[in-house]
Amino acid sequence: MKNHSVRLRGVEFANPVLAASGTWEFGLRFKAVSARLGGVVTKGITVEPRAGNPGPRIFEFPGGILNSVGLENPGLERFRDEVLPEVAALGTRVIVNVAGFEPGEFDRLVGELDREPVAGFELNLSCPNVGHGGAAFGQDPKLVEDITRRARARTDRPVVVKLTANFTDPVATARAAEAGGADAVTVINTLFGLALNANGRPFLGGRNGGMSGPALKPFALYCVDRVAAAVGIPVIGCGGIMDGRDALDFLSAGAALVQVGTASLVEPDAAARVWTGLRRLCRDLGAESWADIVGRTRRED
Amino acid sequence: MKSLRAPVVANAEVAPGIWSLWFEHPGLARACRPGHFLNLKPGPGPDPLLRRPLSVCDVERDRLRLVFRAPGRGTALLAQLRPGDELDILGPLGRPVRLPKRRTVLLCGGGVGAAPLLLLARRLRDENRVKVFLGARAAEGLILTREFSRLRLEVGFATDDGSHGHRGPVTDLVVKNVHPGTGQLVYACGPLAMLADLARRVKGAEAWGFFEERMGCGTGICYCCALPRKGGGYTRFCQEGPVVRLDEVEL
Ligand SMILES: Cc1cc2nc3c(=O)[nH]c(=O)nc-3n(C[C@H](O)[C@H](O)[C@H](O)COP(=O)(O)OP(=O)(O)OC[C@H]3O[C@@H](n4cnc5c(N)ncnc54)[C@H](O)[C@@H]3O)c2cc1C
Ligand SMILES: Cc1cc2nc3c(=O)[nH]c(=O)nc-3n(C[C@H](O)[C@H](O)[C@H](O)COP(=O)(O)O)c2cc1C
Ligand code: FES
Repeated sequence: MKNHSVRLRGVEFANPVLAASGTWEFGLRFKAVSARLGGVVTKGITVEPRAGNPGPRIFEFPGGILNSVGLENPGLERFRDEVLPEVAALGTRVIVNVAGFEPGEFDRLVGELDREPVAGFELNLSCPNVGHGGAAFGQDPKLVEDITRRARARTDRPVVVKLTANFTDPVATARAAEAGGADAVTVINTLFGLALNANGRPFLGGRNGGMSGPALKPFALYCVDRVAAAVGIPVIGCGGIMDGRDALDFLSAGAALVQVGTASLVEPDAAARVWTGLRRLCRDLGAESWADIVGRTRRED
Repeated sequence: MKSLRAPVVANAEVAPGIWSLWFEHPGLARACRPGHFLNLKPGPGPDPLLRRPLSVCDVERDRLRLVFRAPGRGTALLAQLRPGDELDILGPLGRPVRLPKRRTVLLCGGGVGAAPLLLLARRLRDENRVKVFLGARAAEGLILTREFSRLRLEVGFATDDGSHGHRGPVTDLVVKNVHPGTGQLVYACGPLAMLADLARRVKGAEAWGFFEERMGCGTGICYCCALPRKGGGYTRFCQEGPVVRLDEVEL
């Protein structure tokens, strides 16, 4: 394969491997690794700064972790004024992950950051909709479509919608995101989980957690396979990717790009290694373009 | 930052449930300062998934020493390592202690918390007056006593059951030795309750704690390490620590 790049709404990513939101800070900690990736997705940014949840914020189980960071982030203003200038100087495509607790916060964040040198936006629809009972925005296809459309109206850069698979069919919400004008969907975010201590009380300071890591992979792959068959926009596969083979599986199932999350907590260069591993596997397969790989799970022989 | 490989040189149980592991890595031996920690992969493959953070206990030429309890699966695997086995290490991590000069420094170790204080004592003693206080439930839980004695420092002991030294918490000994307004420093490592006790009782000396709480990455990318800061918010203590001023956090 000569050209490894992938495009979203005209924006070129040098390769299909991205660092996932919340597991790569702002891409600044390991700049040399960031530079080898197709791009990085920032920690979720909210309108107001957030202190996050009390500790403990992480629990390990065989094959994965639960986290309850609680979206600790500097908020829109400090992110834009203090963090973004350094992030923009990275020379890596930076997708800003934005999160909100009311529908209007997503397009506000996108609108205000659209003047900045960012590659695009990822809408994290997994937060509870505080004004409406607290179910996540991403659980309601109508809200997904509405929030996506409003964000779409504020930018010409790629808008990616990150879907949850918690108590909702991501096929329905992916279709809603497509209808709202999304350029891609990320499948999937963490799954709900609960860990208890010996006294039967919640272990995590935030009570419930989000499950990630290798244990997530079969379910995430299943979701990608179904979503990719249902929508016409690119799918970004995410969930339990640890090495090149995992990434290859997600591309085969229909993903155009992948994100590496938890693996980076264990090996800072995990995402770069995923890319080298994937490239080698594709070369061994004799692939001439990504089209030879992407979606081959459902292709007739 | 890439993970490093290093051969285990020795590994033995030095007190009930406490292991002392020596490994060889010239680069790390040169780079590690008191307060640094290493993040160790318990075994190959994804289970256990996360690395285990351990403090650098001592450095001798090309060799480094870790002293650790084995409360769970990951450290149990580290306890099984034999000479010649390979460690998978990320580090040095964290912010090292800024070494003072011409001060009286009180070190307070609870249980296995004595470990990181040994390297600190070694690097402090030439230019400071160092007093070490070690505590444990019973005499058999006091560790590294010979090593500290060899540094020719003042060493005091405390046990809950009175089987060695002062009967009661080790913090009693620290408090007795604090002379407010004389520029003393206190460095402590041990259970959270011990650090909280010190934070409450030490007045008139600058007190620091080595925090050994949950972490995800240890490298600053995940925000899974959080100590509540006085006045609100959290300290990402894998970056701003693990050695943090006790009066800056809510214990
Ligand atoms: C900076 C730092 C330095 C440390 N230095 C030492 C040392 O020198 N000697 C020593 O005996 N212990 C030290 N600890 C504590 C040590 O990391 C834990 O005892 C160890 O991680 C437990 O792992 P496990 O597999 O036995 O337990 P498990 O219960 O199987 O671990 C599950 C998860 O919880 C984490 N975890 C459990 N207990 C702790 C804890 N007390 N602190 C942090 N993470 C924990 C593990 O890392 C793992 O991610 C240090 C901790 C930190 C943060
Ligand atoms: C510590 C941690 C923090 C995360 N923070 C965010 C976040 O702020 N926004 C977001 O959309 N996803 C967040 N995620 C989810 C990841 O981006 C990813 O979707 C998920 O972890 C599954 O991928 P993985 O198994 O490769 O980690 C976070 C995950 C972890 C482990
Ligand atoms: S442990 Fe990941 S940021 Fe501190």
